[in-house]
Amino acid sequence: MSEQTGTPPPLLSIENLRVEFDGETGPIVGVKDVSFTVNPGETVCVVGESGSGKSVTSLSLLRLVEFGGGKIVSGRLWFRPGGEEAMDLAQMPAERMIDLRGDRIGMIFQEPMTALNPVFTIRRQLTDGLRRHRKLSATEADARALELLQEVRLPEPEQRLKQYPHELSGGMRQRVVIAMAMACRPQLLIADEPTTALDVTIQAEILGLIKRLKREFGMAVLFITHDMAVVAQLADRVVVMRHGEKVEEGPVERIFTEPQAEYTKTLLASVPKLGEMRGKPGPEPLRIPGQPEPVAPKPPTEAAAARPVLSVKGLTTRFPVKGGILRRVVANVHAVEDVSFELAHGETLALVGESGCGKSTTARSILRLVKPTAGDVVMDGQEVLRLDPGALRRARRNMQMVFQDPFASLNPFMRLRKQVAEPMLNYDLARGSELQDRIAFLFDRVGLPRDFMRRFPHELSGGQRQRVAIARALSVNPKLIIADEAVSALDVSVQAQVLNLLMELQADFGLSYLFISHDMAVVERVSHRVGVMYLGRIVEIGSRADIFENPRHSYTRTLLAGVPIADVTRRTLKESAEFKPLPSPVFPVGQERAAPVYDEVSPGHLVLQDD
Amino acid sequence: MVYLVNRLLLVVLTLFVISIVTFGITNILPGDVAMMIMGTQSNPEALEGLRQSLGLNDPLIVQYGRWIGGLLSGQWGESLLFNEPIAPLISQKMLASGLIVVMTMAIALLLAIPLGVWAARHRDRWQDTTSSTAALLGLSVPDFFIGIMLILLFAAYLGWLPSSGFVDPTEDFFGAVRHAFLPSLALALGLMAHLTRMTRSAMIGILNQEFIRVARAKGLPERTVVWHYALPNAIGPVMTVAGLQIGFLFGSIIVIESLFSYTGMGWLTYQALLNRDIPLIQSTVFVIAAVVMLVNLAVDLLYRVIDPRIRLG
Repeated sequence: MSEQTGTPPPLLSIENLRVEFDGETGPIVGVKDVSFTVNPGETVCVVGESGSGKSVTSLSLLRLVEFGGGKIVSGRLWFRPGGEEAMDLAQMPAERMIDLRGDRIGMIFQEPMTALNPVFTIRRQLTDGLRRHRKLSATEADARALELLQEVRLPEPEQRLKQYPHELSGGMRQRVVIAMAMACRPQLLIADEPTTALDVTIQAEILGLIKRLKREFGMAVLFITHDMAVVAQLADRVVVMRHGEKVEEGPVERIFTEPQAEYTKTLLASVPKLGEMRGKPGPEPLRIPGQPEPVAPKPPTEAAAARPVLSVKGLTTRFPVKGGILRRVVANVHAVEDVSFELAHGETLALVGESGCGKSTTARSILRLVKPTAGDVVMDGQEVLRLDPGALRRARRNMQMVFQDPFASLNPFMRLRKQVAEPMLNYDLARGSELQDRIAFLFDRVGLPRDFMRRFPHELSGGQRQRVAIARALSVNPKLIIADEAVSALDVSVQAQVLNLLMELQADFGLSYLFISHDMAVVERVSHRVGVMYLGRIVEIGSRADIFENPRHSYTRTLLAGVPIADVTRRTLKESAEFKPLPSPVFPVGQERAAPVYDEVSPGHLVLQDD
Repeated sequence: MVYLVNRLLLVVLTLFVISIVTFGITNILPGDVAMMIMGTQSNPEALEGLRQSLGLNDPLIVQYGRWIGGLLSGQWGESLLFNEPIAPLISQKMLASGLIVVMTMAIALLLAIPLGVWAARHRDRWQDTTSSTAALLGLSVPDFFIGIMLILLFAAYLGWLPSSGFVDPTEDFFGAVRHAFLPSLALALGLMAHLTRMTRSAMIGILNQEFIRVARAKGLPERTVVWHYALPNAIGPVMTVAGLQIGFLFGSIIVIESLFSYTGMGWLTYQALLNRDIPLIQSTVFVIAAVVMLVNLAVDLLYRVIDPRIRLG
């Protein structure tokens, strides 16, 4: 621990940290040998994919890892709060550790929806730490709680104190959690994926808030994330982790411009960067070092484009809200309102929007997985919404779906061969050796080794499972694949490979994709056309260039402004980002919204006129 | 408020159905009230006369109307067996059994909640195994057998508590509790198993929630985290199970009260059934059903007090 003269000693130095968990067949190593430092007032981002040990490292600092069955086996965690003697957190007795938590070191977590205790008011949760660490009286603590809510810019703070967590939105809850962590003015704030579960506009707000608080109070931030774009916007220095080890460390500019480690290069190449598709004619696969040159999908021919594979007109889906003793319908959730679009052969149309905008319900309504209230869906010349059950079953052969969670969408009791064979047996498309050949072909096609056919889903990683789900969807030769957040649950490097696979399959089989996603950068990469959804409606639809280079609707602009860009030279993060909260989609029975009217600003580029 | 009215309407509706079922079943049973009064060897003409005067020849619907009308206006009639008005009889016995039910629940919860919390905090360790073994033991041994063992240990051998009998709590509360203690303990040990398992699984779920981690990260001591942060969130399902168990409890009480010669509701129901005291059977069944329903309503209301998401939602 030698420091150069003149520079202040680091606030935190992690030296050779090793953390193990009890496994059935001996200890499992969570973190192998990790060392890095955090200086006072500095933001260090620890970035890595699942299983990299980044969260375990952050939990070790407060010794919270012990509650999850982990143990710090060796290493030192030197913490040196302003001018004080350095203390080793790894060796600290449990009673002293309790005094330190929430006082000198604050921590915030990923899930704002569950981070607050549902049975206590916000006031109680904000003040109990203060009363414990600072020995404040009830009135003093209340006054401080109010101050804290003002610091995190929560609207109507007096009201909020009296409320319970379920009365607040996700973004508001995360502000409360941050206020809680800030209560005792910690010198170090540990943030473990604090924006991963949030919509992009809320994410922009929360990141801006953290940035401002850091500047105002001069605290250091240790920010754990999987998202390179967030790193680019926020970090001073970056630590890249993989498999429980540090891969690389350095100032953020150097990591992004001259990455040294092979893994960092792969990681950076795998992240789609918003705006980098500017001026390109069609979707383009990501170039990942060490991977074969990817195949770009061909643009749909004019003849094909003129003949839509899917045509949706006035699609409306509402869910009843029931109440009272007779369970009568008291209101309706207007999930999808008068949505119309067309999808051509070999084309990818992306539907983007924040949670609750109706993009997934649109997809499910088209397949009639939920029952639409009104509208027409024409798939390959067939009126899907008017088909009888038998005809619907046959029609579904042409439209397959890939879901978000590959852990839940595969049957855990069935071998993978059987799962891929099932749709073909279902439609009696192949039998015997022909069936076996086709399964082998599909496994080859999605890049899975053939010996995986005998395996069960739990033996595969998330990305491999998603490949199986794609193989299963492909097995019946569909014309349309609906991908509902199909890459959202995957790690970035895996996500890039699956995106490339989807584009390659499109080039080979002329597939049409309806690509449902919340991730603007991914959408920019893969789609020919984009529809932006807001409160059940398409507010703007057009070619990729129309939406990303010439956005017209105010919501499209908001959405684009919120997206963090994985580029250190374009730091667009604002400290005081404020976006309008989403209004409720619940309407009284009988209330109809006026039919949407669109302006055609250029051929195919439609913008909703606001009410 | 709307919720409360809705729930009460539902209770009234259910009680109405129960009253029909009780009335119907007691009418299907062989023998009627007149036969019970005069005996099977009585003169058929006198029997017919009595039937006429008791209104037993009226259509069932009229008889039902008379019965339910009496029930609602407090005219519960007389027990054939005890030759006493039914209403005071039932209220006295209900008080006796009420004491047992309350004490049973109190003992069961006081044992089950700490045991369940302890097991949850030390999940898959020896503490967890110990707790589930203890709970299972209480479940698998029949309560009358536990009762006999308790009598042998605490009454016969140690001589700490009376082995049988009943003391009116309005006259001697402490004496009443002493007499009710062993039967309550025997019942509680049987109920504990489910409550312990329920507490354990609910606590495991809650202790894995993010807000528990947040509470620890705030520097709250583990005691506060477990008992103040986690338990109120886990207690809901435990209370629901406890409420449902009240119904079963009135079944078990029949055996246990007989064993301890404790003259409560269970004993009264047993006597009424044994002697075909039809008016008494009808009233006891109806009262027990009403009590079980109201207790469950109270549990649901308590749930709303504890959980603001339901209260304000």
